[in-house]
Amino acid sequence: MGLLRKIRDTGRVAEPAPPRPEGGVPAKARELGGSVQVRCVDAGSCNGCEIEIAAAFNPVYDAERYGARLVASPRHADVALVTGPVTRNMAQPLRRTVAAMGEPRLVVAVGDCAINCGEFAGGYGVEGAVSDVVPVDLQVPGCPPEPAEIIAALRRVTGR
Amino acid sequence: MPAGASGDHRRAAESDGAVSVIPAALATATALGGAGALAGCSLPRGMRIPVVGALTAGVGVGGGAVGVAALGGSRWAAALPGVLPLAGTHLAVDALAGLFMAIAGAVVAAVAVYGIGYAAGHGPHGLGSRTAQAVLPLFALTLVLVPVAASVSTFLVLWELMALASLLLVLAEHRERASVRQAGVWYAVMTHLGLVLLLIGFALFAAQAGGETFAALRAGAHTVSPMVRGLVFVLVAAAFTSKAGAVPLHAWLPRAHPEAPSPVSALMSAAMVNLGIYGLVRTGLDLLGGGPAWWWLGLMATGGASAVYGILQAAMASDLKRLLAYSTSENMGLVLIGVGASGLFAAYGDRPLAALALAAALLHVVNHAAFKALLFCAAGSVLRATGLRDLDRLGGLRPRMPVTAGLFALAALGAVALPPGNGFISEWLLLQSLIHGLAVPGVAVAVVLPLSVALIALSAGIAAAVFVKALGVGFFARPRSEQAADAKEAPPLMLAGMGLLGAGCAALALVPGLLGDGLDRAVGAVGLPGSGAVAGGGLKVRLADVSATLSPLWVVAALTAALLLAVGLPRLYGRRRRRANARLWDCGGGAPTPRMAYTATSFAEPLQRVFDDVLAPEQDVNVTPVRESAYLVERVRFQHRVPDRIEHRLYEPVLRALAGAGQASRRLAGGSVHLYLGYGFVGLVVLLLILAVGW
Repeated sequence: MGLLRKIRDTGRVAEPAPPRPEGGVPAKARELGGSVQVRCVDAGSCNGCEIEIAAAFNPVYDAERYGARLVASPRHADVALVTGPVTRNMAQPLRRTVAAMGEPRLVVAVGDCAINCGEFAGGYGVEGAVSDVVPVDLQVPGCPPEPAEIIAALRRVTGR
Repeated sequence: MPAGASGDHRRAAESDGAVSVIPAALATATALGGAGALAGCSLPRGMRIPVVGALTAGVGVGGGAVGVAALGGSRWAAALPGVLPLAGTHLAVDALAGLFMAIAGAVVAAVAVYGIGYAAGHGPHGLGSRTAQAVLPLFALTLVLVPVAASVSTFLVLWELMALASLLLVLAEHRERASVRQAGVWYAVMTHLGLVLLLIGFALFAAQAGGETFAALRAGAHTVSPMVRGLVFVLVAAAFTSKAGAVPLHAWLPRAHPEAPSPVSALMSAAMVNLGIYGLVRTGLDLLGGGPAWWWLGLMATGGASAVYGILQAAMASDLKRLLAYSTSENMGLVLIGVGASGLFAAYGDRPLAALALAAALLHVVNHAAFKALLFCAAGSVLRATGLRDLDRLGGLRPRMPVTAGLFALAALGAVALPPGNGFISEWLLLQSLIHGLAVPGVAVAVVLPLSVALIALSAGIAAAVFVKALGVGFFARPRSEQAADAKEAPPLMLAGMGLLGAGCAALALVPGLLGDGLDRAVGAVGLPGSGAVAGGGLKVRLADVSATLSPLWVVAALTAALLLAVGLPRLYGRRRRRANARLWDCGGGAPTPRMAYTATSFAEPLQRVFDDVLAPEQDVNVTPVRESAYLVERVRFQHRVPDRIEHRLYEPVLRALAGAGQASRRLAGGSVHLYLGYGFVGLVVLLLILAVGW
C-alpha cells in the first residue's frame, strides 16, 4: 500500500511539454508512425552524455510521452543514440550494431565528441567521429547536451 | 534344440491350425544360428561379416515368423528328451511367448543388417573379430529361443546361454578401452547373481509343485503354501527385474550398454531386457497364477522408482549411450508398473482391467523395443562417424548425417511419449488403466494408483527434457569438436537397418491396431480375458462404463493439419516482405564460438538443481595461483560428477564387506598341509554329525 500512497501523494512530476521543435520529420522517420524504439551505443564516451540520456528518460523530462522508448537490443530498435568519439575497439561493434537494426533506421549522434571527436580529437585510440563510421541522420551538439536537447532531437524523429 | 537330427526325438507335438510353420521356422532359425556361429569361426575376415550378418538376420526372420504365427493363434508344444541330459528339453509356443519372439526376431533382423555395415568399418578387433562374429548369431538365437522354453531346466539353460553370449559380446572392444573390462565384470557378476536367484526360486517352486515342466508348475501352483509362493515370487522377481534393469539391481545396465558395440547395445536394450519382463509375466501371472496384493505393490514400487530414478540419471548423463541405457531403465520401470497394476487388479478380482493394464505394459515393451533399438543404432552410427559418445563434444551432425539425425528424431519422438510418437499410445493406455483402477476398492490401491500416475507423468516430463537434450545438443547447433565437424553419413547397410526400425516405429505410431488381436491373445495366454484395447486400426479402451478412445491416425492427421494451417495461413494472407540476410546478432563482439553453446551438462544443470537432494552431485573447484602472488590465478580446475547414488550407497558397502571377508579368509590358507588335512577331517565329522542327527 505504501507504493500506491506514494504514487497518489507525489502526483505528476513531469515538466509541461515544451513546444514542438523546429525542423521537419526526417523522411525515413515518417514510416515509424510516431513510435520509436531507441538503442544507446556508447562508442567511447566519458559517460557525461549517458547521464543526460538517462535524465531524458526520467519522470521529470519523460521522453516516453513523446513516443520514444529505450530497448535492450538493436534488433528491436529504430534509432541508435551514439555517444562519444568512436574508439578503435568500438568501431566494428558500432558498424555491426547499426547493421543489425531493421530498416528504416536512424542514427543520432549525441554530444560534441560524437559529432567531431571534441576533446579527444587526434587521440591514439580514436578512430574518428560517428559520421566517419556510420551515416548519421541527426546531431545533438553540447558537452554534454541537456536532456531537453536530446528530447528535442527524439521528438523530431517521433514527430510528436 | 530342435535342429536337424534332434527333430527325430520329438515325442509329442500338439497344435491347431498352422501345424508346420512354427516347428519349421524354429528349426530353420536354430540351423541358421548354428551355421552363423560356424561361419563366424571359420570364414576369412572379408566374407565373415556379411555372411554372419545375413545368417543372423535369418535367425531373426525365423524367430519373428514363429512369433507372428503364435500371435495369429497357433500353438505348439514338444518334448525332446534326448537333447538335454536328465531333464530333457520341453518347448512350447503360445501367444505370450510369440509376442516376445516377434519383438526379438524383428529387432534381431534389423540390427543384423545394421551390424554388417557397422562391423565392416571397424578395426580387426571389436565386433568384426572372429569370436564376436561367432557369438553374435548364438546371442540372436538365444534371444529368440528363451520364450520357447517350457520347463525350468530348458529355460535356465537358454537363459544362461543368452547371458554368456551377451557377456562375450559386451567384452568385444576390450582391447580399445579399459572400461569395457570393468563393465564386463559388473555384468558377469550381476547376471550370475540373477541366475542364482532364479535357480533357487525355480528349484524351490519345482520341488513344491511336483514337476519342473511349466505345465506341471501351472497345475501344482495352487498346492504350494502361500509363504513358499511368496518366497518364490520375490526371488524370481528380483532376478527378472535385475535383467530388466530396474532399480536397485540395475547397476550393470548403465555400464554394459554403453561399453558394448552399438548393435549389441541395441539387441540388449531392445530384446534382452524384455525377457526380464517376459519371465516376470510368465512366472508371476501364468505359472504362479497371480498372487496377493503385496507382490504387485512391491513390483509397482520397483517400477516407479526405476522410472523416475532412471530418467533422472539419463537427464544428467552426457554420454549418449549411457543416457539411452538409463532411459531403458526408465521404460522398463513403466512396464513394471503396468505388470504390477495388472497383478494388483487381478488380485482384487477386476480381470478386465487387469487385462487392460497388461496389454498396456506389453504394448509398451513393443514400442520401447522399436524406438530404443533405433536410438542405439543411431548412437552407434554417430559413434562410428566421430568416435565420440560425449554429447558435450558432439553437435552439428544434422547437416552432416541427415538420415541418422532424422531417424534419431523419429525414435526420440517415440521415447518422449508425446503424440504422434509410438510411446505415447502405450503410456496413454497405461495411464487409462491406472486411472480407471481407482474404482477398485482397497486402501493400498487408493494410495498407490494416483502415486503411480504422478510418477509416470513426472518421468514423461523429464523424458522430454532428456531427448530434447540428446537431439538438440547432439545433432543441432554447431560441432564442438573436430571429429564432429568431420562426421560422414553412415554407409547404406547401416541406414537400411535403421530404416527398418524407423518404419517399425512409424507403423506402431500410426496403426497400432495391427497388433490388436495378437496383443489380446498374448494377454489371454496368462488367463486374463482379452482387453480389446487395441483394435481395428484405432485404439479403443472398451470398458463397461468408460468410453475413452484414441485414434492415433486421426491424431497425426489433426497435428499435420494444424501444422499446415499454422505455416500456410500467414503465407497466404500475411504481407509479403523482402527477406534480407543478416548477420547473427552477437552483441557486436564477434561471432560466438561453439564452446559458448549449450552443452549437455549445462542444459541439464537447472534440472539437477531441482533434484539436488535426490542426485547429490559432487563438484570440486581447484584454483592454482601463480608462484609470485596468491591473487593471480594460473589455472582453475573444475570437476563435476553425478554419481549413481543407489550404487554408491547399496553396492559399495557390500563390495567392501566382501573384500574384507576375502582378506580375512586368507588366514585360513596358512600353507600348512597339516592344517588342510585338519579342515578335511573337521568337514567330514561335521557332515557325518549332520547326517546322523538329520536322518
